[in-house]
Amino acid sequence: MTTTTRQATQETVAASARNLTKTYGKGDARVHALRGIDLDLPRGRFIAIMGPSGSGKSTLMHCLAGLDQASGGTVTVAGTDLGSLDDDALTIFRREHIGFVFQSFNLLPMLTAEENIVLPLELGGRRIDDAVRERARMLADTLGVADRLGHRPAELSGGQQQRVAIARALITQPDLLFADEPTGNLDSTTSAEVLDHLRRSVRELGQTVVMVTHERDAATYADHVVTVQDGRIV
Amino acid sequence: MHTVFLASLRTHIRRYVAAAIAVTVAVAFVVVVGVLTSGAHSGLMDGLGAPYRNADHVVSPTGWPSSELDPKAAIAFTERHGENASATGRATLPARANGRKLSELTTVGPIATSEKWRWQKLSSGRFPARAGEAVVDVYFATAENVAVGDRVRIGEGVAATDVEVVGLVESPSPPAQASMYVTWPQLLRWRDQVHLNAVAVRGEVGRLPEGAKAQSPEGFAAERLTYVQNRVNSLAVMLLLFAGVAIFVSVLVIANTFSILFAQRLRDFALLRCIGATRRQVVRSVRREAAVVGVLASLAGALVGIGLGYGLTALIGALAPGVPMGAAELPVLWLLGGFAVGLVVTMVASWLPTRRVVRVSPLAALRPDTAVDVHTATGRVRPAFAAILLVTGSALLGVAMVQDSTALMVAGGGSVFAGVLLFGPVLVPRLVWITGALLGPAGRLATKHAVRNPRRTATTTASLLVGVTLTTAVLTGMTTWRSALDEQIGRDHPIDVALTSPKEPVTTDLLNRVRHTPGVERAIPVDGAVARVSGLDEPILVVTVPAAAQVARDGGAFARVEPGKIGIDSEAFGKNLSLRPGDRVTVRVGDRRARLQVAVGTGWGPAGVVAPETLATLTDAPEPHAVWIRATSGADPARLGGDLDKLADPVGATIENGLRTWESLDRQLGIYTWSALGLTGIAVVIALIGIANTLGLSVLERAREHAMLRALGLTRGQLRRMLAAEAVLLSVVATLLGTVIGVVFAWVGHETFVKRALREATLQVPWPSLGVVVLIAALAGLLAAVLPARRAARVTPAAGLSLD
Repeated sequence: MTTTTRQATQETVAASARNLTKTYGKGDARVHALRGIDLDLPRGRFIAIMGPSGSGKSTLMHCLAGLDQASGGTVTVAGTDLGSLDDDALTIFRREHIGFVFQSFNLLPMLTAEENIVLPLELGGRRIDDAVRERARMLADTLGVADRLGHRPAELSGGQQQRVAIARALITQPDLLFADEPTGNLDSTTSAEVLDHLRRSVRELGQTVVMVTHERDAATYADHVVTVQDGRIV
Repeated sequence: MHTVFLASLRTHIRRYVAAAIAVTVAVAFVVVVGVLTSGAHSGLMDGLGAPYRNADHVVSPTGWPSSELDPKAAIAFTERHGENASATGRATLPARANGRKLSELTTVGPIATSEKWRWQKLSSGRFPARAGEAVVDVYFATAENVAVGDRVRIGEGVAATDVEVVGLVESPSPPAQASMYVTWPQLLRWRDQVHLNAVAVRGEVGRLPEGAKAQSPEGFAAERLTYVQNRVNSLAVMLLLFAGVAIFVSVLVIANTFSILFAQRLRDFALLRCIGATRRQVVRSVRREAAVVGVLASLAGALVGIGLGYGLTALIGALAPGVPMGAAELPVLWLLGGFAVGLVVTMVASWLPTRRVVRVSPLAALRPDTAVDVHTATGRVRPAFAAILLVTGSALLGVAMVQDSTALMVAGGGSVFAGVLLFGPVLVPRLVWITGALLGPAGRLATKHAVRNPRRTATTTASLLVGVTLTTAVLTGMTTWRSALDEQIGRDHPIDVALTSPKEPVTTDLLNRVRHTPGVERAIPVDGAVARVSGLDEPILVVTVPAAAQVARDGGAFARVEPGKIGIDSEAFGKNLSLRPGDRVTVRVGDRRARLQVAVGTGWGPAGVVAPETLATLTDAPEPHAVWIRATSGADPARLGGDLDKLADPVGATIENGLRTWESLDRQLGIYTWSALGLTGIAVVIALIGIANTLGLSVLERAREHAMLRALGLTRGQLRRMLAAEAVLLSVVATLLGTVIGVVFAWVGHETFVKRALREATLQVPWPSLGVVVLIAALAGLLAAVLPARRAARVTPAAGLSLD
């Protein structure tokens, strides 16, 4: 895949990494989580990042998503070099351009499903008006959780929680949607549903989705699979 | 299990720091009270018996302290025994040194010329040998700036006598202490003012004066010591009450800390159970942790208490040398007591949270990421019980107000407060909602965080609630008391300063000079005539003052005398006033006369106040014989009195200084208020530590949520503001609730016992001060959030997300 995307133009690339490295600790305890990654993520595709536990795939995602600063190299998302942003600018960039679905602790326990969905907009200072609510309802409807909007996360099943999380990630129409082991805590039927939703958001909404997973089954839903091992793409 | 215990102690000890500080403060409080009490005891013990050490008997009033020796009989008794008796006591007399007026509390006592009766210790100069010489108490000399060689004029008018200061002495015996000492024959010059409290006698006592008893010197000293010690002890009990409040608040803080910490470690405990630890082992391990925290904190508290206690003793010795503060030996019992209190408080406070640990099922460890159950149930029993307490308490308070029963009031107040605390998990989150709504959308997340765990929210706010309720009640009570007293003082001392000149009329020049004296706001001339009043030896002034309202603090009510009456200042004429209210007297000016009925009041000096009509029948040409003065607010009474004295003296006029009484009462009230506030302040400080602690622990607990919020686009500043808003919400709600309850309690207290003591007291709520309390609480809440918020904001989203 790396060879085919290397020639891709700016219009077709949602994000790219060049010679990306990340090290933790010092001296003897030094760990090289990423050892020089070159990667282009094509727009409007479903990409899976795979690798065994400790391979660096989560670190790669954190760096691509601007959750962590790389030790070396550059990350460009939607034409912006993330390394050039300070913490506040990076936060606002994430708010506007990137959506997240995590494995767990996805939703704030004291907010209802609907409040969770519109949270990214609220953080951006947007007034939660009827138009926003309508969009949240539409997304929830698409994801099959429209009847659960008034409930709190504790009252939702694991699959429902993940679908609410997807709705939340989609509400800002991000350039990139990152999903970190989104099916890690789900049974196979529910997993299939969630993955199907992710794939439909790529097909029907033109979303770019990057999913980190170690499950081969999950990766089969993706258009492209990037495999990471020992901090390198193989 | 031992390894686990040590390891978890190492890992978690830092999280206990705030709880430990709460215990340390409470224990230190108790120990400081102990050190000060022992210091006062030992200070009193020295010296008290010194004047009586060479006596065989001590003669003192039988009904002491409610009755005293008849001065005339006691003086006669002492005279009768000659060299074999020595009296202790004092006369309160006006005194001036080098033309400067000394404190109105200047007292003069006797000093024996013979070695065996003399108990004062010379610190410089020599002892007086004859009349005309005096020694001054060394502390009084420092305070009033008197030195050896100064001349002091004691007394007023015909009884005024000049004495020379020949030495300074230390005189540490409370019953016998005076500001200055003169020889016995010299003291008898003011025999009418002398009050004797005991006579030391050698040999036979003979016939006792009426109402007196004879005791051994030891018996006498013991009696006095017990009395003074009881006062010290009751002071200690009062301080301990405040310490009790501080301890109660610490219990809340510690209990909260433990339940949060244990909730966070629930999975660890479950894992331990999974791999084979028994319930007993787990519980014992966490109780041992609590014990270690308790022991360390109590030790620290005892040490801090000793340091502060001795520091304060030294400070009191340096600032107020007159206070009998001995260098106390270590009060071992108090230390042990304080230590035990700290340990017990920690163990008790951790008991309930540790019980919850027992119930954890081993399965909890296997469940993936059971997000800590955020909604603790409030149940039904708790609100029901709270309602019962609230209703019963209110009923008790109602009955207490009707029956003026303090006991019922305390019971009712306790019941209501317990009800409020129990009701907290229901009540406080709702209040937080309402207050949070005022913060706008920015505060919405904070509000939701603040109420997510109602019980934790309630416990956190409860500690502050206790402190603020007390502070508010004290503030309101003191303000009410103060305004009632101000009113009463206004009635008793309507005129700040009265300058009365019975011999010569007051000249316009003198009036002008009075008006230009700094500290004088307004001065009015008072017209009158010199009259002879039947029943009084000396002629007095009879005045009428239609304009009194311009200067009087009671609006001039005292000067509106009905025709046919004459108002006499009972204080200005002193004890020798034979006239009683309602007596009929004949008042003569020249050859005119009037028959008037006596009315008695205080606070305008040696003059009889009559209606204008009455004065018109007595004289056709009244002349100004007095000047009544209203001082500017904040005027220094001593300086004003001194300045006016200088004007009055040359013309033979006298000064009646009501402002001084006013000011000294005012200052006393101020001291009470500030002490009470300072003492409740300790509880408030502990409570704020508690809020910071809860917030800090919650931040640790919510690290992943914060990381997620940051990932979703919450900036660092927003995160910090969110946490600050949460802390401010908690503290403001607790403060508002506490203010309301405190004002209600103050009102009940006012209805129950203040009204009985001061009939015309009306409840005064010091809204500005209460506003300041709320503001301070909000700021303190903000301060409490600083550290946790900084810590939370430092974590990068990636690090927060990968936390377990």
